[in-house]
Amino acid sequence: MTDTDLAAGTATKPPWWRLIVPTDLPFLYELVTIVDPRWWRFSRGGLEPQRVLATAQSIAAGVIVHDHDDRPIAAALLADAGASGTGSFEYFAMPDAYAQAIARDLAPELIGAAFDGAPIRRLYHERFEGDPMLLGAAEALFEVEVTYPAFAPIGGRFETRTISVLTSERFGEWRQQQRSAAQPEQQPEQEPAS
Amino acid sequence: MITTARIVLRPVVPADYPRLYEIESDPATALTWRYRGELPPPQEYEPALWRQTQQIMVVQGRRTGTVVGYLQLHDLDLRAGHGWFSLYAGPEHRGSGLVMEGLMAFCEWAFGDWPIRWLYAHSFEHNVHAFESGLRRGEAVRLGVLRERMLVDGRPTDVHAIGIEREQWLASPLRRRFNTLRARVTS
Repeated sequence: MTDTDLAAGTATKPPWWRLIVPTDLPFLYELVTIVDPRWWRFSRGGLEPQRVLATAQSIAAGVIVHDHDDRPIAAALLADAGASGTGSFEYFAMPDAYAQAIARDLAPELIGAAFDGAPIRRLYHERFEGDPMLLGAAEALFEVEVTYPAFAPIGGRFETRTISVLTSERFGEWRQQQRSAAQPEQQPEQEPAS
Repeated sequence: MITTARIVLRPVVPADYPRLYEIESDPATALTWRYRGELPPPQEYEPALWRQTQQIMVVQGRRTGTVVGYLQLHDLDLRAGHGWFSLYAGPEHRGSGLVMEGLMAFCEWAFGDWPIRWLYAHSFEHNVHAFESGLRRGEAVRLGVLRERMLVDGRPTDVHAIGIEREQWLASPLRRRFNTLRARVTS
């Protein structure tokens, strides 16, 4: 499906997401291999399937994003969620403009789900400088806290990696603003005629 | 093994475990070190000690023969060419400079024996002063601060990310001075 299809109104249903289930592992593995080595949690030790599987099973929660035709096109994971009230949001899409556009559109909703579903104060997002940015409207809310220069080799050159953070307060305020903006302005009450 | 006038940096042996356990049991630091106050019982200590760890080097004072602290090389990533280290000092030796001298020996050992470009460490806000002189001189760099990253006793605490780059270490005047003093000891 193309943007033209969407504009023409031929799309039957909007993209959607759901919680990950064990039968999604083949898709997750495929996605990891396609973006290799950018999904560092999985790729750093190589792609031996049992190791990738063990890593996937250690993840707190995750979702699969589907396109208009129900095809899985992206995956998001909430990792390292622990007693300190923090977690890591990891998000990758199939490397094409169509999948990435859908992923960007849904990112704020997925981040909201992470905050709603777990007691997280601070949500981290790690990325290589060359990773496609998929955070969509939430991108500007994240603040870089740590930069690892020349962290790992990708495609023959060392890429820098950053850790950004989004606090639950900041996201909550932003979400409230979005909701307020989406609601029609309320008419002031009429003064009763005396 | 690396020997200076005051310390020996050497690989840990099982006979050191009780001393390492004692160091980690110190209530002043137990909450902020890796077990977060939940140190495993001694019979489960060895596997816990070595989890995600490639090597442990103890710092032994030459005058007393006491293990004054230890350094761990962990989460080594040879694909990326970096690894992490943790540094633990016995309570009675903090501020003596012995363990920091051990850190210099550790850098010399790690960059000399492992194909790594960077050594990283995390330091809680209240411990980061141990790195300040290295940060000032430039052997170490602050890569950033994870604000309110951890809860210690229920209170949010910043965690500093510290990096030591191989080339920076190899070229540093501190390293030259360290090795000059070492050479005097061994000659």
